[in-house]
Order: sequence, then structure tokens, then C-alpha cells
Amino acid sequence: MSQDEKFEFESVQDCRTIQKYLQALQDGFDQGRLVLSADGAEIVLHPAGYVKFEVTVKKKGQENKLAIKVGWKDRGDQAAESGTISISS
Amino acid sequence: MHRHFEGLDENFRFLILEVQNQIKATIEFLLAPTPGTYDKIINKDDYIDNLKNVIENKCFTTLSQTKLSPEQMKYLRAVHVISINLERIGDYCVNIAKQMGYLSTPRFLENFDYRESFLKIHQTVSDILPTLHKANLSGALAICRMEAELDAMYKGNFDKIMIHLRIGRNVEDHITSLFIIRYLERIGDSLLNIGEALLFVIIGERIKIQQFQALQRNLTKSGLQGEVTDVDFQGIWGSRSGCRIARVEEKNTPQARDSIFKEGNLRKIRQEKINLECWNEIFPGLVPRVFSYQEEGENASLLTEFLAGCTLDEAIFNPDEEILENALFIFEQTLQHIWEQTLNRFELPTNMMRQVGDRMSSILQVHPELMRPPLGIGPLPIPSAGELIKGCMDIEARYPAPFSVFIHGDFNINNVIYNHQNQKVYFIDLHRSQHADYVQDVSVFLVSNFRLPAFDPLSRGRIHQTIASFYAFAKSFAQAHDDPGFDIRLGLGVARSLYTSTRFELNRSFAHDMYNRGLFLMERLTEKTPEELAGFSFPLEILYY
Repeated sequence: MSQDEKFEFESVQDCRTIQKYLQALQDGFDQGRLVLSADGAEIVLHPAGYVKFEVTVKKKGQENKLAIKVGWKDRGDQAAESGTISISS
Repeated sequence: MHRHFEGLDENFRFLILEVQNQIKATIEFLLAPTPGTYDKIINKDDYIDNLKNVIENKCFTTLSQTKLSPEQMKYLRAVHVISINLERIGDYCVNIAKQMGYLSTPRFLENFDYRESFLKIHQTVSDILPTLHKANLSGALAICRMEAELDAMYKGNFDKIMIHLRIGRNVEDHITSLFIIRYLERIGDSLLNIGEALLFVIIGERIKIQQFQALQRNLTKSGLQGEVTDVDFQGIWGSRSGCRIARVEEKNTPQARDSIFKEGNLRKIRQEKINLECWNEIFPGLVPRVFSYQEEGENASLLTEFLAGCTLDEAIFNPDEEILENALFIFEQTLQHIWEQTLNRFELPTNMMRQVGDRMSSILQVHPELMRPPLGIGPLPIPSAGELIKGCMDIEARYPAPFSVFIHGDFNINNVIYNHQNQKVYFIDLHRSQHADYVQDVSVFLVSNFRLPAFDPLSRGRIHQTIASFYAFAKSFAQAHDDPGFDIRLGLGVARSLYTSTRFELNRSFAHDMYNRGLFLMERLTEKTPEELAGFSFPLEILYY
């Protein structure tokens, strides 16, 4: 069984700077190929077919949380078992 | 003082007696070894060990089952520490007796002077109980000092043995003798622990003999009358920047004078003393007066004036809003005055970013994950922490400070004292003061506000108010003194402080927040072209939590 591949990026942004990251993800979906790299290692995702798409929002006092979760299974000749992209703010 | 415990006191007395007997039996055995004395020593060991365990059990049971006064608790703690060390002394006696079997002849030991050490050890153990019961300070000090005496005797014998070993004479016997004499030196270490435990009961604070002696000398030198027992140690000894600090208050004297006693690293304390004198010359009354200063080996100690008032962070949380407004007004006025008076219009480079590198190993020791590697999402590269630090260093080299002022150097909010009655502020903890960029102080002060551990909306509101007021003040100073690079250097300084302060923050999520905010500032600075950078405006909201 192959090892789990993981990519993590945590940061503080403002509403302007966050957009380039969202745009990069959007471009990946558009092209059906999204490469995430960390310290030289790469995870290549091929979002295709039907995808599970969740938006969760939590608001508690001054605290706000918006989570976007996209999940799918690789099919056919694609080797990887599954792919998930999660964005939280 | 009613701090006696039935049963426990008796066991404790027995333990002392048995250890005394063990010491006596050991010296007898060394002088004239017989199988009978040997067996007596070996058999007594278990008894001593049991007594120590019984005392330990009683101490812990009493602690958990009875409501005790602070004095009683201190007494129990001391009895526990003393018992452990007495049992250890008993063990050393057994080890000495066992070593005797390795000598080719017991008379070999007669070549060395050990009898006096044994007599002194025996006498010192006899002094423990009366010293404890009479709370006799000089008795406790005498017990502490025994360690140095035993060390000196050990050194004399050690040198003698070495001379013989160098020429290879009776090597086995000399090595065995060294082992035996070395145990006497270790008994000295245990006696020192016992003496310090006694000091703890008598003075009421954990204090090392060396710190105690330094304090005593300082008090004498500063003209304070009476014994050290006449002063109160206010609050537990704190430890800051590697120094031990206590507030000392004179009791029962008409002209009572409070002072602060600091003891620690020679370089730091000496620098603090020099800086205090320097500040007092430029701005008399702004910093504590130096009462006395002592150097002793690698350590130094300092007795300074205690300045009445509250720290500025205490003013922030005072329910009376006017107090904070007043404090901030006086604080900013004072700083304006200091900066203007000490301003030296010579450009000077800063090294704020280098500090991040210098402290990286301490940061990663606490939070190994706080070093972002180079990342990428699709074609979009996300710079690593290392790249950001490098980029910021380049910016820092292009934006030197246009002038220097005499800065505090460790400008945390709790290093500023506000006295509401006198309407004055004072500075403390000045070992890092020097002529440098005022933005160094501004950034440290702002981040120390951000780091205050208060997260309710009301407290945070007060913190934000302080941050906003202080930033506006510093910015207007920059404008009035022709410092266009202020916001850029502030961005670098704040990023530095946010990043490096994570090493003090054990709350993981808050540490991550500080780190990410630091990286945010570094990204905003490094993504700009040189032309854009000139118009950089410090995003103050990054300091609102």
C-alpha cells in the first residue's frame, strides 16, 4: 500500500492576498491537473468526474470559519486512490 | 512556631542519630577495621533507608491530608530534603567501609588526613536539629559553609595522591584512597543541600548560599542595618533573563527602604549596573538608583531602588479607563523627551532580521514546525521562511536607521512602571540599553502588547487602544524627524519579534498565529518592487487579535 501523501499550508492573509491562492486552485480544477509541492516533493491531483463538494460555515461571536471541502476518487488508469482538497479560512 | 508533627519529629530525630552513629562507626572502622564494625555499618544501612522512607511517607501523607500553614509546609519540605540527604550520607559511609577491603593494608589510609573531615561531618550533622528548632540563621550558614571546608580538605589529599600516581607508586592503594576521600567530599555536597533546606525554613524562600551571601554583602554595603532576617522577601524569587530577582523589604525600621536584589550572570548584571548609571546621569529619576554592586567569580549581584507603581500592562487592565489614558500620555511624553534629548543624527544599520536566525534553534526547539519549507500551489510559489528572512535582510541593508537614540533595549510592556500618584513612568531591566534605532524599542513594545495573555473582548479592546496610541505617537515622531523608512523598519522589527517570541509561547495555536502574522509581514515587504516598497505602510491590524 502506498503511503499517504500530505500537503499542508497554514498562513495569515488578507482578503486581497488570499485571492491568488484561490485562483491557483481554480485554475487547477479548470485544467484537471493540480500540482502541490512541498520542499521538492510533489503531489499531483487530477480532479475529474463527479466530485463531492461541501461548504461549511461557522459563526460564533466574532469568530468566523468558512470551510470548503472537495473530494473525489481517481478512476481507471490513474494510480492514486483518491484526492481531497480542503480550504479553510 | 507551631510546626511540629508528632511521630514525624521523632523519626527525624532518630534518623539524625542513626546517621551520626553511622559516621562514628565508619571512622572507627577506618582506624581499626574489624568484621564486627563492618557488619554493624552494613546492617544499619537498611534501617536508615527505612527511616527515610517512613519520613517521606509521613511528609506526603501530612501534606495531602492536613490543612497546613505555609510555615508548616516549608518545615515539611525541609525535613524531606534533609532526610534524603542524610540517607545519602549514610550510603557514603557504607561505600567507604566497602572500599577499605580493596586496600592492601588498612594502615595505608594513615597517609592521608581524613580524621578532621570526619569529626567536622559528625559535628555538622549534630547541629542540624538544634539549628532547625531554633531557626538559627548563623547555624544554617555554618552548615552550608562546611561544603567548602570539606572541598579544601579533599583538594589537599587529591593533590597528594596525584603526586604518587604520577610516579606510579602504589597505584591500586592510591586509587582506592582517592575513592574513599572523594566520598567525604560528596558528603559535603549533601551537607550543603541540608544547609540550604534550613535556610529555606528560616528565611522563607529558596535561596542558594552564594545568592544569600551576595545579598548579605549588598545589604551591609548599602548601609542597611541589622540581619538578613530583618528583611522580608516579597514574593517568590522570580527568574528573568537568567537572573534571580527578589524584592527586599526592611522590617521594623523607621526609614524603611524597599529594594530589588538581582543575582546572576556577571556580564548581564554588570551591564545593567553600567546602564543604570548611564540613565541616571542623563535622566535622573527615570530608572532605579543603584544601592550596591558586587562581583563574585562568574556571578554578580545588584541591589537597586524599588520603584513603587504598577507595570504598564497592569494599567491596561485597570477598570478605571482614565488610568490607562493618563499612563499612556505620560509614557509617550517621557519617551518623546528621551528620544529628542538623545537623538544622534548618524545613520546606522540595524540587525533585526539577523536575530531571527540567531534564535532559530531556540524557536524550533519549542515549535519544530515553525519553519515553512518552499511550497507551491500549481504554478504559484509560496516562499519559504528562509527565503523570506533572506529577502527581509536585503531590505534591512537598504534601509538603515537615519539616526540613533538611547534605547531601553528590552522594551517589554512589563519593563515600564507607572506611578499614578506621582504621575511618572520609570524604566526597569536595562541591561540591553544602548544607542540604537528607536524602532527596535517600538517593535518590541508593540509585540509585547499583542502577546499579553488576555483574550476577552474588553481586555483586547484596551490592548488595541494601547497599540494604536503608541503606533500613532511613534509614527508622528518619525514624521517630525524625517524618517521615511519608519514603517518598513517597523514591519521588519515586528515580524522579527512575532517570530522570535514564539519560543516563549507554549500555547500552540497562539504561537502559530504569531508566526503566521510574522510571515505575513515579511511576505508583504518582500513582494514589493523597490519603488513600491518606499510607499509601504505598516498594516497595524496585524497586531489586533
